[in-house]
Amino acid sequence: MTTAVVTTEAPTERAVAPPARPARRGRPPRAHRPVGGAGASVLLWGYAALALVPLLLMLSNSFRSNADLITDPLGLPAPPTTASYVEAWTTGNVATYFGNSLAVTVGAVAISTTVATMAAYALARGRSRIFRWLESLFLSGLMLPIHLAILPIFYLFDGLGLIDSRLGLMLMYAASGIPFSIFVLTTFFRQLPEELEEAAALDGASSWQTFWRIMVPLVRPALATVAVFRFVPIWNDFLFPLVLLRREEKYTLPVGLTNFFGENATNYSAVFAGLVITTIPLIVLFLVATKQIVAGLTAGMAK
Amino acid sequence: MRRRTGLVFVAPALALFAVFVLYPMVTAFSYAFFHWQGTSRGGFAGVENFATLFTRAPFTTDLPQALLHNVLFFVGTMLIQNTFGLTIAYLLYSRPRSRRVLQTLYAMPYLVSPIVIGYLWTLLLSPTFGPVNTLLTRIGLDSWALPWLGDPKTALWVVILVSVWQWIGFPVLLYGAALGGVPEELTEAARVDGATNRQAFFKITLPLLVPAIGTVSVLTFIFAMEAFALPYAFGGSTGNPAGSTDFVSLLFYRTAFDSGATDAIGSSSALATLLFLIIFGGAYAATSVLRRHERRITA
Amino acid sequence: MTFDSRPPGSSRRARRTVLTIAALSGALLVTACSPSSSGSTGAGAGGDGKVTLTVWSWRVEDEAAYKKIFDTYEKAHPTVNVDFKAFKATEYNKILATGLAGSSGPDVPQVRSYGQLQGTVASKSLLPLDGKVDLSGWDENVVASAKGKEDGKTYSVPLARQTVQMFYNQGLFDKFGITAPTTWEQFIAGNDKLMAAGVTPIAVGAKDDWTLPIVHEVLAGSRFGGKAFQPEVLAGKKSFTDPDWVASVKVVGDLEKYMPKNVTGVAQTDAQTLFSAEKAAMIPGGSFDLSVLQKANPGMKIGIFQVPPAPGSPSGSSATTAGWADGNFAVSARSKHPNEATELVKWMTSKEFGQMVNDDIKQISAVPGVEPTDPLLKQMSDNYTNSGSPYLLLTDFRYGAPSGTDLLGKGLQQMLLGSKDATGVSQDLDTGVKAWFKPSA
Repeated sequence: MTTAVVTTEAPTERAVAPPARPARRGRPPRAHRPVGGAGASVLLWGYAALALVPLLLMLSNSFRSNADLITDPLGLPAPPTTASYVEAWTTGNVATYFGNSLAVTVGAVAISTTVATMAAYALARGRSRIFRWLESLFLSGLMLPIHLAILPIFYLFDGLGLIDSRLGLMLMYAASGIPFSIFVLTTFFRQLPEELEEAAALDGASSWQTFWRIMVPLVRPALATVAVFRFVPIWNDFLFPLVLLRREEKYTLPVGLTNFFGENATNYSAVFAGLVITTIPLIVLFLVATKQIVAGLTAGMAK
Repeated sequence: MRRRTGLVFVAPALALFAVFVLYPMVTAFSYAFFHWQGTSRGGFAGVENFATLFTRAPFTTDLPQALLHNVLFFVGTMLIQNTFGLTIAYLLYSRPRSRRVLQTLYAMPYLVSPIVIGYLWTLLLSPTFGPVNTLLTRIGLDSWALPWLGDPKTALWVVILVSVWQWIGFPVLLYGAALGGVPEELTEAARVDGATNRQAFFKITLPLLVPAIGTVSVLTFIFAMEAFALPYAFGGSTGNPAGSTDFVSLLFYRTAFDSGATDAIGSSSALATLLFLIIFGGAYAATSVLRRHERRITA
Repeated sequence: MTFDSRPPGSSRRARRTVLTIAALSGALLVTACSPSSSGSTGAGAGGDGKVTLTVWSWRVEDEAAYKKIFDTYEKAHPTVNVDFKAFKATEYNKILATGLAGSSGPDVPQVRSYGQLQGTVASKSLLPLDGKVDLSGWDENVVASAKGKEDGKTYSVPLARQTVQMFYNQGLFDKFGITAPTTWEQFIAGNDKLMAAGVTPIAVGAKDDWTLPIVHEVLAGSRFGGKAFQPEVLAGKKSFTDPDWVASVKVVGDLEKYMPKNVTGVAQTDAQTLFSAEKAAMIPGGSFDLSVLQKANPGMKIGIFQVPPAPGSPSGSSATTAGWADGNFAVSARSKHPNEATELVKWMTSKEFGQMVNDDIKQISAVPGVEPTDPLLKQMSDNYTNSGSPYLLLTDFRYGAPSGTDLLGKGLQQMLLGSKDATGVSQDLDTGVKAWFKPSA
């Protein structure tokens, strides 16, 4: 099994080139005037509007009363009302769910990114054949449709006494993120020049010190990329918590909200308010991290 | 770093991965080789469950159809993201000032759960209340006011388009990054030699983007073969209307959890195994082809 | 290069490391495989000597009503604590399958009925209730929902009878001088009148395939002979290619002009909204839709009727109300307190419980002799008692894959889209169910 989806593996001669640094992005743009001119700019901004329409619809509908929504599902909030938010937040137990979601997602992303970074470093630098083999094993995980294994996962959790445990859920998510994280991170580590480690070794640094003090800071943009791309699906998932959690005080936001939606099947306005509450943390996170992500991808894909 | 040190670095990830991903998946695959009565396992069944997939209704009709839809989903997504997506990335590259803002906006739909995306687009495209058809009718394009999700001819393409719409930020970011890696001297030299923007793009830039396109394609292939959440949100577990948005994962879901058959776990596990083999085979083949191409351009 | 040239022997050590890791994860796996030591539900005897019974349900929207009902039970049974939990309906099958197979599952789960109960029964997840609960005198079709097909044992207590019929907007009917029809001609005349006035006569959400077999039962149940058709098809004397069945499928197609435009693009929620917004005058639906419709537009006066038999209906066939049982409760085989759990489901056969199902959950109780107080529910219940028939594809054709309801749902969509005719749809249904259905004769 020598697959590996790694097609971005850097050719050897690139490995000694200086790593991509943020400074690169500061250089003058390649083309001196925008390709495609004003027409293309209109297209770009027009498409941006299209990307936002449903989100704005969600936001606008959350500020309307339900009676209003039923008669005209797509009208404007005039006058806006925040009653739905009050309802979602107070009767929907949203504060508890929110805390659980945050704990589980942050925990899972932190664990997954930490162990994957360590593994990716070793896989990128390891010369022995076993590392190639292990890398293939991890990357085959990218192709495993894990939600199809819900029954064995349940038995596993039952056997380990992890049913109704937030920690169990966190570990499950952490594990399922490992293939993707390793996939991205090995590519980055391969692009860092090995001279860095040689110099560190001459200074008497241990492998762990070299890894932690020198290598990790250099792949920070990649870490941000991996973290955000893992954060989103975990935050939004409701299948695993539905099957693996039992008590309401442990529910994550999507599960808690599905119940809230069930009770308010016809109260669309409250449903939209719940959705906005769910989505806002992601938007904030994404806006904060975009700079890092773009830098990360730029370094990662540069060839 | 010694090999042993390396293995110590790998160990935590390997342990987690083995326990929570590999073990359940392998167990799920092993289920395919047994007889089942509800959730209790019977004797060894050999390949009987796999034979079921090719000989018994509803698989004989639903599986080829669902698989075809997965493939169309892949092809459609590829076509759009490698033309429209790449064009956007290319146009953005020459607009450094608005680039970051636009990249962020394009990625926004990715943040919303596919279930919600499906629900919102169903509202927008509804033939009774939806604003899309209302708008089309108002500007005199009555014949364009189609039932969208109600017609097998358009429903699958709506699912594909909305999926691309949700994910396009990802290829745009990656292609943008790859464009940053194309040495400026090469395109400049071509222009000095009298090449137009277009010629420089197709002759110089595009071939250098192939590795990035390859990576995106392999990931897209895996994503398309596993498609579940969005089709489920649009067409339910039966791929409405009339099975036109059915996918292999939906068939799995129906078989495993909605059917009255008592041997459902056996046949659904066989289906999961088959799906994995298809994904694995496809990704392996694509990777080999790309490797060969890369060797050619770096040689 | 940072890699040391390895001293001999290091690879052996490395191999040992790998083996250690493998052994370690192996040990974890073994623990995972072995059945848990407790091996029973999480609910146990509390410190106060009380027994806690966990009840699972997919009726999130009825949570308050159920809690009230179980409060009554707790008052009469001071040693029992009922912990009611509701889960998302669309994911319930998954949650139930896993919950019953492992520890910390429910003592008294709500289970599916008829064919969809069989997987749970085959898993040996439920206790047989024969000799413990008494369902004699209950409607035969209702009792069938609670039984294992293979062994004929009773595994659950039916909660409610669901019926399907035509809902109509009394105000709109009055406005256009229409009354609930008793003949097919009146029905068609009413439709024409409404259509001429620009009102959609019949709201149908054909985008959701599961609604279509219900629409078929409501519009054409009497056309294939209703109740009389069931024993014949089960015995293999008739099949779904029978001319009367084909004609009943065709009835749905013939009425398409009275449905919303592009009906296969209309979701069930859209159809209900059309009805609630008084843009459509009728909607075929189930007794379970009543409270939704009443809530959506409380000012609207709703009525119901049975659609009269279409021309050509078999002789003796009259307007009918199709029905089935669902919401059944059972006792988990893994319950730590099987006696108390059995006692609870036994109580569910009482008139006291039945009345609360009628009044609090607002469904037609399956318990015989209990009358709903809501006049419309009562009318549905009476219709079923006087001229009821089984919702055949649900009660008898969900014991295998592909199910009869899935096949007809897809087939009717194809017919409405124009890609198949009634004969083709019926043929597909017949071929599909024959993959697993064996006539009893």
